[in-house]
Amino acid sequence: MLTFLCRRLMISGVLLFLISIVSFFIITLTPGSPYPWGELNPKITPQVKEAFRKKFHLDRPLIEQYWLNMRDLFSGSLKSIKDDRPVLQRIGERLPATVSLNVLAIFLSLSFGLLLGVYAAKNAGKLPDVLTSILAFVFIALPGFWISNLIVIGLVKFTNAPLLGTQTYGINFPDGLTLWLDRFWHIALPAMVLSIGGVAAQSRFIRASMIETLREDYIRTALAKGLAQETVFYKHALRNSVRPLITGIGGLLPGLIGGSIIIETIFAYPGLGRLGYEAVLERDYPTLVALNFIVAALVLLGNLISDVLYAVVDPRVRLE
Amino acid sequence: MVTDFQSPPTQPQAAIFSSPGRRVWQRFRHDKVGIAAAAIVALFFVIALVTGLCAWWGIYFPYDPNATDLALKLKPPSLAHWLGTDNLGRDVFSRMLNGSYISLTVGFIAVAVSLFIGVTIGAISGYLGGWADNVIMRVVDAILCFPTFFLILTAVALLGPNIINIIVVIGLVSWTGTARLVRAEFLTLRESEYVRAARTLGQRSLLIIFRHILPNAAAPIIVTAVLGIPEAILTEASLSFLGFGVQPPQATWGNIITDGKTYLLDAWWLIVFPGLAIFAAALSFYLAGDALRQASETRSEKK
Amino acid sequence: MSFRRIIIALRQSDVSLSCATVIRLFVYGLPALLLTLMTVSFINVSLLSTKKKNEMSIGTLGEPSTLNPIQQADAAAGQVQAVIFNGLLKYDQNLEITTDLAKSFELSQTTTVFFSDPNAALTALLKIQAENSRWQEWKLNSVTIEDSRLVIKLREPGMDVSRKIISLFDTSAMVPLHVVRVDLQDKAKDTLKAFRSDPAASQIIREWIESSGAFELTIAGDPDGFLKALDAFLSTRSELKARREIVQTEQFLAEPEVVFSLRDDVRWHDGQPFTSRDVAFTFRAIMDDATASPRKPDFLYILRIETPDPHTARVVYRKPYSPALNSWMIGMLPAHILEGKTPDWWAVNFNRNPVGTGPFRFDRWKTNEYLRVTRNPDYFDAPGPWLDSIVFRVLPDQLALRLAFETGQVDFWSVDPWAVGRFERDNRFDIFSSPSSSYTYVGWNLRRPIFQDERVRRALAHAVNVPEMVKYILYGHGIQSTGIFTPMMWFFNPDVKPFVYDPEKARQLLAEAGWTPGKDGILQKDGQRFSFTLITNNGNEIRRDIATLVQDDLKKLGIEVKIELYEWAVFLKNFINKGNFDAMVLGWALGPDYDQYQIWHSSQTNPEQLNVVNYKNPKVDELLVDIREEYSRDKIISLAGHMQSTIYREQPYLFLYVPEGTSVMWKDSYRIRRPDRRGGWINTPVEMTKAGWGYYMDWFYRPEYADLLPK
Repeated sequence: MLTFLCRRLMISGVLLFLISIVSFFIITLTPGSPYPWGELNPKITPQVKEAFRKKFHLDRPLIEQYWLNMRDLFSGSLKSIKDDRPVLQRIGERLPATVSLNVLAIFLSLSFGLLLGVYAAKNAGKLPDVLTSILAFVFIALPGFWISNLIVIGLVKFTNAPLLGTQTYGINFPDGLTLWLDRFWHIALPAMVLSIGGVAAQSRFIRASMIETLREDYIRTALAKGLAQETVFYKHALRNSVRPLITGIGGLLPGLIGGSIIIETIFAYPGLGRLGYEAVLERDYPTLVALNFIVAALVLLGNLISDVLYAVVDPRVRLE
Repeated sequence: MVTDFQSPPTQPQAAIFSSPGRRVWQRFRHDKVGIAAAAIVALFFVIALVTGLCAWWGIYFPYDPNATDLALKLKPPSLAHWLGTDNLGRDVFSRMLNGSYISLTVGFIAVAVSLFIGVTIGAISGYLGGWADNVIMRVVDAILCFPTFFLILTAVALLGPNIINIIVVIGLVSWTGTARLVRAEFLTLRESEYVRAARTLGQRSLLIIFRHILPNAAAPIIVTAVLGIPEAILTEASLSFLGFGVQPPQATWGNIITDGKTYLLDAWWLIVFPGLAIFAAALSFYLAGDALRQASETRSEKK
Repeated sequence: MSFRRIIIALRQSDVSLSCATVIRLFVYGLPALLLTLMTVSFINVSLLSTKKKNEMSIGTLGEPSTLNPIQQADAAAGQVQAVIFNGLLKYDQNLEITTDLAKSFELSQTTTVFFSDPNAALTALLKIQAENSRWQEWKLNSVTIEDSRLVIKLREPGMDVSRKIISLFDTSAMVPLHVVRVDLQDKAKDTLKAFRSDPAASQIIREWIESSGAFELTIAGDPDGFLKALDAFLSTRSELKARREIVQTEQFLAEPEVVFSLRDDVRWHDGQPFTSRDVAFTFRAIMDDATASPRKPDFLYILRIETPDPHTARVVYRKPYSPALNSWMIGMLPAHILEGKTPDWWAVNFNRNPVGTGPFRFDRWKTNEYLRVTRNPDYFDAPGPWLDSIVFRVLPDQLALRLAFETGQVDFWSVDPWAVGRFERDNRFDIFSSPSSSYTYVGWNLRRPIFQDERVRRALAHAVNVPEMVKYILYGHGIQSTGIFTPMMWFFNPDVKPFVYDPEKARQLLAEAGWTPGKDGILQKDGQRFSFTLITNNGNEIRRDIATLVQDDLKKLGIEVKIELYEWAVFLKNFINKGNFDAMVLGWALGPDYDQYQIWHSSQTNPEQLNVVNYKNPKVDELLVDIREEYSRDKIISLAGHMQSTIYREQPYLFLYVPEGTSVMWKDSYRIRRPDRRGGWINTPVEMTKAGWGYYMDWFYRPEYADLLPK
C-alpha cells in the first residue's frame, strides 16, 4: 500500500510537471494579449502598454515566463494581470461559493440518481424501467445552457422570484431563517441544472449495478434462505451496488472548476468557473496558469482517492 | 462468443462480421424505443442531407436562411414564418434546416476523428502492452487532467473559430474514452485462443489486429461512436453559445440560440425551437445508441 | 461496561429489517426532503418583503479591476470610483468643465524669450510697450526683464498670441532654444544629477524627467558644444546605452499654468483634511513608473506642481496643451495613506478598500458579486447624499442585467434599443433617454488599394442605408453620425450634412472610379474583384448585425463582403493593432474631448497606435496640432468644426450613427431633491442630463423615505 502510494505520487508529480508546461504554452500561445483597458482607449499609448508588459514579464522569453510563473505560483506571489492581487487569493475567495454549489449539485445528483436507479432496478424490464431510462436520456440530452435559460425566463416571466447571485438584495431580512432559505434558493437553482446530467448518469449506473448484483449467487442464497425480498433488495443488493458510486466521488473534484462555466454565467453566480471563463477572455495568464495547475492536481488527486477508496471498500482489490 | 471462437481464422472478414451483426439486428428490431429513436435519427439525417445538398446548389426552403429583411424583424411564429423570424428578419425555420447539416456534420466528423485516434492509440496500447501501454495510459491520464471545456475554448481561440477547426478540436479532446475502451477490449481479446492460434501460425500483428481483434471489438466501439455524436453536437452548441462557434451568417442550432439570447425575454421562439432541435437530435441518438448497446451486449445476458 | 453489552444486544437483535428500512428511508426520504426544501425556499423568496432598504442598486457589466482611480478606468470601475473619489474638476450636467474639489481655478501663461544681451531684451520690451493698445486684445498682464530674458505674462495660454508678440522682435538678437531628449534604460535622475557638475550644464534652462528611463533638457545657445559635452559625459555611463536627440527647436518658452484654489472644508473618509499635498502626491504617483498608470500620457505635459500653501496648487506645463485641463477630473489620492508605500501594498490594502473624499464611503467588495458603498455623513456638499448606501451588482452580461432589473434586483437598466418600445408602452416604468457621446462606424483600411480612392469611399457611404439601420437596429433611438464629434459636444459642427442613402449615386461614383460589373456580378477593376472581409468583435450583437446589413446593402451593388467575428483580445492583437484587416465595425466612446490626435494624426499609424485606418491628411494634421495649443473657446469651435467637416467629407470611416443612451427604472422608484444654490431646494423626478441619468446621484432619494429629508 505504502509503496503503491509513493509510486503513484511520484508518477503524479512528473505528470503534473509535464501538464504544467503544456498548459502554460497553450495558455500563452493563444492569440490575443491582455488588454485591460476596456474598449479601445485613445489615452493608452504604446508607452503605457510597454510599461504594462514589463510589469508582468510579458516581454521576456516564454521559457523564462514559465519559470517566473511557476516560481511565483509556489511562493504564493503570482499576481493577476487584472487587479494585481495574488492569484491564490482570488481563487480562494471564490471557493466557498463554488464548493457549496457543487456539494449541493453532487448531493442532488446522488440522491435523485439513487431514487431513479433503485426504482428502475426494482421494476426491471417493466414499463417504469423503460420510462426512467428514457427520462435519464432526456436529462443527458438537455443542453445545459438551453434549459437554464428556459428556467430563467420562466421564473422571470411567471413569478417575481429573484434568482441571480447568491442572495436577494435591497431588502432587510426579517430573520435568519428567511435569509438562509433565500441563500439556499439562490444556490439550489444552478445546482439543480448542474445536477441534471449527474442524476441521469447515476441512475443508469445504479440500475445496471443493481441488476448485476441481483444475479449474484449470494443474493439467490439469501432469497432461498427465506429472507424478505425487501430486506435482500435494500440491504444486501443496494449496499453492494452503491460501492462503486462512492469510489467515483474522487472523480468529481475537477468538476468544481470546469463544469459550471455556462451555468455560473447565466445565474451570475460568483464561482470558479466564471473566474476561469473571464480569465480566458481577459487573457489573464497568471490566473489561468494557477487554475489549470490546480485542476490538474485535483484530477490526479481524485484518481488516487478513487483507487484507494476502491481498495478500502472492496477487500478483493489489492493495490500493488 | 462461442461461434466467434470456433470460426476459422482465415474466414473472410465480412462473414465474421455478418453473423453477430444479424444477431444484433434481430434483437434491436424488438426494441420499440430504439426503433423509434433510430427512425428519428434517420429523419434528421435525411433532412440534413437534403438541405445540405440543396444549400450547395443554392436552393433554399422555405426561404433563404441568410436573407435579412429588417421590416420582418422579431416576428412571432405565423403561417408565413412557421417558427418566427430573428433579429434581422431572417426566417428561423429556414435557418434551422440550414443549420441541421452543420450540426450533424460536426457530430459525425468529430466522432470520426476521435474514433480514428482513439482506436489507433487504444489498439496499439492494448496489443503491445507492457511499457508502451503504460506510457500511453499515463498520457491519457494526463489529457484527462485538462478541464475539457477550457481546453476546447483555448484551442478554438488558438486556431480560429471555423467549422473545420471546431470539428478537429472536439475530436482531438474526446478520444480518450474510446482509447481506454479499445485498450480494454484488446487486452482481453489478445489472450483469446483464436488470437493465440493466429499468432502461432505466424500471422503478422497488423493482420491479427484488423482481421481478428478489431471485428470482435466492433460492437462496443460502434456504441461509443453513436453515443459520442450527440455529445459532439452539444459541445458545438455550447461553444456557439459562448461565441466561439461557427462564424455568422452561417446558421447552426447553437448560434441561432446565441443570436437570440439577447431577445430571450421578448422573443421566446428564437431559443425554444433550435434548443428543441438540439435536444431531440441528441436524445434520439442517445436512445438509439443505448438500444444498440443493449442489443449487442452478449456477455451479461449469457450469464 | 455497557458499551460491549450494547454491541452484543445490537448483534442479537434483528437489525436486518431496520437496516433495510433505514436504507429505504434514505433512498426515498432524501429526495423528498430536498424537494421540500426547494419548494419552501421558493415560497420564501416569492413572499419576501417588498419594502426596500434606503439603498440604490446599480448593475455593472463585469467586475471592476481596481478602485484606484489612477490605475484603471474600465467602465465598471469608473462607475464606482465616481461616488468614492472626487477630482479637482468635473463635468457639469451639460458636459462642460466645472469645479469639484477646487473652489476655482485660474489659467495664465509665462512666455520667456532669451536674448543675447540685456540691451536686446530692453529693445524688445520697448517694442511691446509701444503696442500697448493691443495689450487688451492679447490679454497681456505684464512684461519684465530678468537679465537678458524677457518674461511676458499672459492671461490666456496659447501659442498664437506669443507668436504675434515675438514677430515684433529682431530675430537675430534672440537665442535659439533646443530641447534635447536623453533615453537611457535606468537611473535618469542620478545621471542628470551627475551631469549638472559639467561646465556645459550652465546652458540648461529647464529640466524635465519623464520616467526612470528618459529626461529632456532645454538649452539656450549653441547646441553643438553642448551636445559634444553631453556625449562625452554619456559615454562614461555607457552601461545605460543612452541615446540623445534634439526633439524640438524653439524661439521662446511658453509655459501655461493653472492655479487651483482648493476647498478648505473637504475631509477624507478617515477624517484627515484634504490639502494640496494630496494633489502633488497624486501627480507624482501617476508619473511613477511603478504604478504603470494608464493615465500618465495626460500628465506628461506638466513640468512641475507647486504647493505654496495647503489650499493652493500651482501646475506649470511645459507647453500649451489645452486638453490637459480635463485630466484634473481624475480622482485625488490620499497622500497620508499611500505615500511611501509600494504599488504592491496598494493593490492589496487600498485598491480594494479605498479612502476617498466622495459622497459615499467604501464598505464592502464581494468578488464577482457586489460592491457596497455607504453614505458619507461628512461629505463637503452636505447635507447630501440622501441614500444610505449604493450596491453595485457585478453581472456577467446584458441579459443578466435585464433579468436582475426585471426581478427588481437592480434599479436601473440601460435599455437595448430593441426593447425601448416595450418599456415605453409599459406604464410600470419610467424611461429617459438622451443622445450619447459615442458613435459607431465602419473603418476602411486605407492601406488597401480598393479603399484608397475617395470616390469609392463616398460611394460606400451612399450605398449603406444608415437611416434604415437607425430605424431597425436602434428602433429609431439614434441619429445618423456626421463625423468624429457628436451633437452632445459643445464644439460639434451642426453644418455638416449626412450622406444620403442613394444607391444610384453610389453606382455612378463607383463607375467613375473604374469599377464595372464583372461576369460573376461582382464589380471589377483591372481584373481585381471588389471583395473584402469585414471584421468585428463577437459578443456585440449590434455590431454583428451592422456587419450583416452592410454585407447585404453592398451585395446589391455588386460588392462581395465576407464577415468574420473574433474574440475581443484576438480582434485587437491580430487585426486592429497590426492594421491587418480590410474593414471593421467599431465604435468610439470618447467623451467630450476635442483632442483626437491619437486617432487621426498621420504620425499615429504604426502598429499599436490608434490611427488604425492609416488616414493621412496634412491639413488635418495641422488642425490636430493647433487645436491642442488653443485655449480660446471660439477658436476651438472653429478648428473642431473644420476638422469634423474635412474628415467627414473624406470618409476614412463610414460614419454610421450616434445612438441614444436610454435608461429605464421602475416607476417613481427615485426622485431628485437638489439645492438650487440659492438656499432652496429643487424637487424633480429623475431626469436625463447630457451627463447621464446619474448626474445628480448624490441627490437621489426614494420617495418612501422622503420624510428623512430636510424640509
